[in-house]
Amino acid sequence: MSLYMVQRCLFDHLRRLEAAGDGPKPAIVTDGYKLTPEEVRAVTEPDIGAIYRMGVHPVIINGFCRALGYKRADYRPLLADPDASTQVKVKARWQK
Amino acid sequence: MAEIVMAYAAAHAPMMTADPGSAPRQQAENFFGALEKVRDTAKETGVQAIVMMTGEHFTNFFLDGLPQIAIGLDDEHLGPPEVWLQVPKKMVPSDAGLAAHITASLIEQGQQPALSYGMKIDHGFMTVYYWLDNSMELPMVPIVLNCTTPPLMTMQQFYDFGVTLGKAIRSYTGLERVGLVAGGGLSHFVGEPRVGDIDEEFDHWFLDRLATGDLSEILSMPNDELALAGNGTGELRAWVALAAAMGSAPGKVLSYEPVYEWINGMGVVLYDGDNVAATA
Repeated sequence: MSLYMVQRCLFDHLRRLEAAGDGPKPAIVTDGYKLTPEEVRAVTEPDIGAIYRMGVHPVIINGFCRALGYKRADYRPLLADPDASTQVKVKARWQK
Repeated sequence: MAEIVMAYAAAHAPMMTADPGSAPRQQAENFFGALEKVRDTAKETGVQAIVMMTGEHFTNFFLDGLPQIAIGLDDEHLGPPEVWLQVPKKMVPSDAGLAAHITASLIEQGQQPALSYGMKIDHGFMTVYYWLDNSMELPMVPIVLNCTTPPLMTMQQFYDFGVTLGKAIRSYTGLERVGLVAGGGLSHFVGEPRVGDIDEEFDHWFLDRLATGDLSEILSMPNDELALAGNGTGELRAWVALAAAMGSAPGKVLSYEPVYEWINGMGVVLYDGDNVAATA
């Protein structure tokens, strides 16, 4: 797996969408990115949760979700972390 | 020599221009009222140009080449690329002489900013700038900061950068009255399971420290701890650099509103200009 290739694929897709403006939205292109079958599935389906778990940069995830039509925090359920309740909570200096 | 006649930091949530009416009315009035006060201050002080810092959002750079700090060196920059931002697309004037001087001065002082021609100025700049001058004629020197992609510079390192930036601006002889602006923050989470959250406790804590001018607890904060307040909250590096450029003087918190409809803690902090601070 190449995390960079997944991120490059998504980033290039967002740029193509930006260039298309109000015209027809191009489909995501995966050829030439050296992706595994699972990575191709995740970006084309798309499976936002899988993309997040791969470690894709949150700014790219946010942009991708916006391009898919999600508003504000509407994509939050797609990123639900099943391990969140078992994670160790760290107290920050501003917390009382 | 130039004076920094005004300086302020403000949140730059895209929704503030894309859909301002989506915020509760009182919250929007408080936030925009603060920006109007800043605009009045800019007019009163006769600002000739601004230098503005904000976080990089993969608008100009990507993972194949991502500087920690980059300065736009053209005499104009295109903004914004986001068609949905509800800000007209325009070539925004800069002051190439000021940009070149800042770059050279920073390097003389030990910083290593990247040089950038063809820089685009996205919502990180344009939301705040458009409220400052909706004619978009006020020259703006853009500086982008890496605030989201580790390894990240620390708050202390951005403070040190801000000190040198202040010296750089004040040693410029081509203008007399320069403004300094930081865009970004306050707390917000994007592209992760807490998207939509706002850490109000952090925001109040952070603003309280800016208001006193005692930044010691902020500057000693490791990057991992800062990230607990949100993965977008690191944009406050620009605020810390601005505070440093203004000598850690106490800032006036003009407004703070946790606007959940904009998924962002929204605040504005204004600093006295050099001439006012010198007589205080």
